[in-house]
Amino acid sequence: MDASAANASTHFVCDSVMDLLLIETVALMSNSGTSTSGTLSTTGLTGDEDREAAYFKLEMLGYRVGMGLTEKATRDRPRFADNLEIVKFICKDFWLAVFNKQIDNLKTNHRGIYVLTDNNFRWFSRMSANSATETAQLAFPHAAFPCGLIRGALSALGVASVVIAEVSNTPQCTFQIKFRT
Amino acid sequence: MYLVIVGTRDNPLYELEVYTTQQKQQQQRDAQGEQKHLNQFIAHSALDIVDESMWGTKEMYLKVVDRFNDHHVSSYITPSGAKFMLVHDAQPGDVRSFFVDLHELYIKVLLNPFTEINGVITSQQFDTKVKGIARRYLSG
Repeated sequence: MDASAANASTHFVCDSVMDLLLIETVALMSNSGTSTSGTLSTTGLTGDEDREAAYFKLEMLGYRVGMGLTEKATRDRPRFADNLEIVKFICKDFWLAVFNKQIDNLKTNHRGIYVLTDNNFRWFSRMSANSATETAQLAFPHAAFPCGLIRGALSALGVASVVIAEVSNTPQCTFQIKFRT
Repeated sequence: MYLVIVGTRDNPLYELEVYTTQQKQQQQRDAQGEQKHLNQFIAHSALDIVDESMWGTKEMYLKVVDRFNDHHVSSYITPSGAKFMLVHDAQPGDVRSFFVDLHELYIKVLLNPFTEINGVITSQQFDTKVKGIARRYLSG
């Protein structure tokens, strides 16, 4: 998370510590599903149910954080006139506040579905594995928290939605937002 | 003067009665209970008008939205849909700055991960700070 240096009362957060915290959070959630065995498995994912439970927990974490962050980020700006403005806010101001960059591509079908593409997703930029597909697979749980962030932000602005992440070739990441009307 | 913060489901999150030194007599009268119900009623009936006027402007501060006898209702709405409403008489002082500062305090309360968004605000410090800014900005 960043801050513009112009503001005297700004707080700064250490980027690497934030990265480490998020990595550990994902690992913790993934491992907590195996509590019966009492040992931590190395891969951390022992079954579909565990995976889903971990994903759900991470998403809910992101939800609450997203709501709080939006309150802070919308403080000095005028209110939103329609859904498209809300999504544009997510792409620009919100993404800027969290990742210090904006969303690279926004596509919509004008009927409530928006696809946000980040070509160099900050939290995936230093991840690597043996092959591209394996990296994408292992990186997927890490996209749960950002999905929650987006869903929380939208919810704080009064919009119910479903956010799905797609990680096919890291460091690129797409988020699909479906507005629930 | 009566302040209420209303959530997105028209649920009150925080209420406060504000008196200046000149209103000590009024405070004693209000303590008999009648005025308090009336204040709540006035604020509640103004909610519809706030809902209407919020779509007409992109501003957060909606100024005076409703009048009832000699009570005025000023309103301020945050981007997330929380409404701050102040029932006051004709000379309330600097209501806009009060609302802006109140918005800051409101955000600080919500950033606490243990508070429920759209839930009643029970923080003592929030209460103290709101009383402080009320004393500073509201003089009516």
